[in-house]
Amino acid sequence: MTLWALAGENDTSGIFDELSKREVRRAVLTAVAVPGYQVPFGSREMPVARGWGSGGLQVTLAVVGAEDQLKVIDQGEDAGVNASNLRRLIVGQVGCAEVTDTRKATVIQSRHRIPETRLRDDQVLVLQVPVPEPLRLVVGDAREQQRMHAEADYAKMWVSLYEDIVRNGVIMQSAGYPCLVNGHYVFAPSPIPRWDVPKLHQSDHLTLLGAGREKRIYAVPPHTDVEPLTFEDVPFETERTDGAACHFCGADDSYLVEVPSTDGSVRWVCSDTDHCDRRREDA
Amino acid sequence: MGYAAARGGTEAILAAEDLVRRARDGGGSAWLGLDQIGERLRLAVDRVQGEGGLWAPELAARAFRQAEGDVSEAAQILRAHRSTIPRLAYSEPVHADELSVQRRISPAFRNPPGQQLLGRTLDYVGRLLDLMPEPEDADSQPATHVHHHDHPAAPVETNGVDPRHPPRLLGLLRKMDLVVDRRSEDDPEPDDITRVPPRPGSAQRSARLTAMARAETGALVHLWYTETFTPTKHQHEFPGEVRHGTLPVRLRHPVTGNPVTVAEVRVTEVETIDDLDRLDEDRTRLDIGYGMCFGHNERKAIAMAGLDLLVHRDKGQTDLEQRVLLTLDGIESSGFLEHLKLPHYVDFRSVIDRKRAVRRPPAEAVR
Repeated sequence: MTLWALAGENDTSGIFDELSKREVRRAVLTAVAVPGYQVPFGSREMPVARGWGSGGLQVTLAVVGAEDQLKVIDQGEDAGVNASNLRRLIVGQVGCAEVTDTRKATVIQSRHRIPETRLRDDQVLVLQVPVPEPLRLVVGDAREQQRMHAEADYAKMWVSLYEDIVRNGVIMQSAGYPCLVNGHYVFAPSPIPRWDVPKLHQSDHLTLLGAGREKRIYAVPPHTDVEPLTFEDVPFETERTDGAACHFCGADDSYLVEVPSTDGSVRWVCSDTDHCDRRREDA
Repeated sequence: MGYAAARGGTEAILAAEDLVRRARDGGGSAWLGLDQIGERLRLAVDRVQGEGGLWAPELAARAFRQAEGDVSEAAQILRAHRSTIPRLAYSEPVHADELSVQRRISPAFRNPPGQQLLGRTLDYVGRLLDLMPEPEDADSQPATHVHHHDHPAAPVETNGVDPRHPPRLLGLLRKMDLVVDRRSEDDPEPDDITRVPPRPGSAQRSARLTAMARAETGALVHLWYTETFTPTKHQHEFPGEVRHGTLPVRLRHPVTGNPVTVAEVRVTEVETIDDLDRLDEDRTRLDIGYGMCFGHNERKAIAMAGLDLLVHRDKGQTDLEQRVLLTLDGIESSGFLEHLKLPHYVDFRSVIDRKRAVRRPPAEAVR
């Protein structure tokens, strides 16, 4: 008997052994079964810095297969260095096809954005999460955070939002806006902008969130309520700038980022480059 | 729009990789052999293994060379390599009495049972920069080199005690009825923090010890120092003994079921003694903190033992346990720091949006 026979099947050389992938899949199943609950898992070190999407990478590697169409974006872009690097690692390991067209992708790993194109029920979105704990805003003690989640005791969260309004007139929470999932757990939807938060509510697609450094996986299954925490008389606000439109495609109904020039003027461009490209082609 | 928006991120990455390779593999000097790194830069290799949490001297030397001497980076490379290999088995517990010492000192007793064994240490070697001229012939030995045997003569046996296996001080202190008994039944199997993430409040002592054994040395020493150097603390602890030596690694044979020694690892072990002086403590006794880590890493083991005591005496009153469990890992802390270099303009735009929202006239602020 050889050691390899004892270890079981492990035909993939590369960055992640099969037994570890199995463990991630188990955590993913738990996460899907308990929406919004942060499932602890034995996060492995990946060949990228912890904080560069090692959690998303583990989740993606655990769910993606050779027949998948993979899209990887960072800040909405397919061609940025981080997105390119992660795509290179995953494709090198799995041998799946790489695509940039959101409509063709079966698995989408993303950092900080949900594509503008509405995702379907045959698509999986994997979000990289740097800081998964929404309660860190209001209480620093991990023991207390666990208790609060277990008892759905989010009073301090509400108080902090209320204090924001009293002090500033608006809720100051920017990206990663705390949301109530399926009526129980408050979760941090990675640092996606508030613009993207409504896309999680009653979505057709499955969203998996992986925090490698903090060793937690959580999920929003399809057709699940995701409600941003806010008061009845204070509507949830998404980012907006009056009169702003994409310099390239003219969109004023997508998430726009600012491009300042040296002369002080500002241009706006779509952060979702695939969406922007397609709008220009269609025009 | 900067590097992130550039089309063709892949080309940029490949070019950056090429620059790394040129700097690492280029240059006019001879290529560093793994044997040289293992022999001449032993302590760096030990540190890589300690922080990488993996005993593999040749792989650690390889990682260290690949990382161009960056210990943290080398430790990450080593751990990422570990992720590619399945875990085949758990080794059997080894008692610390089995440690075959190469060095063993006791700052607490002048003549502890078993002798003091100074061993290899820089403690009494003057920290003066050696300015002897480099040998002209690169192959010759350094001018200061004094030939010695790789294995110095075995220490002399005294009073029938095997000097490689001196009795541990803890036994003596127990006989003297001077230490509180910290043994507990509720931590029978060590928590494996690489499989089950430690959670403050419910983690066992074994989880804390593992976390500290893999901790970044500087971070660990810093945390110990900040906790020790406080206005309310008058005393430091006494290391009862500091030991460096080898331990066997045993596995149960998959067929016969018998334990088989498959490897030896070098470890540093420290038992440190603290004076129990708080109102709620047994003031007739002392307490013992424990530290053990891979390689010759005395600073790490001593700080670890000190923190083991401090967390225990803290009894969950502060967030010290949380800091020990969650903030000492070098790969995690530097990974998070590295992540700041990634593009953040999607969430930064969201932050700026809020600043502008605050400035909007009140009637318009709430949409």
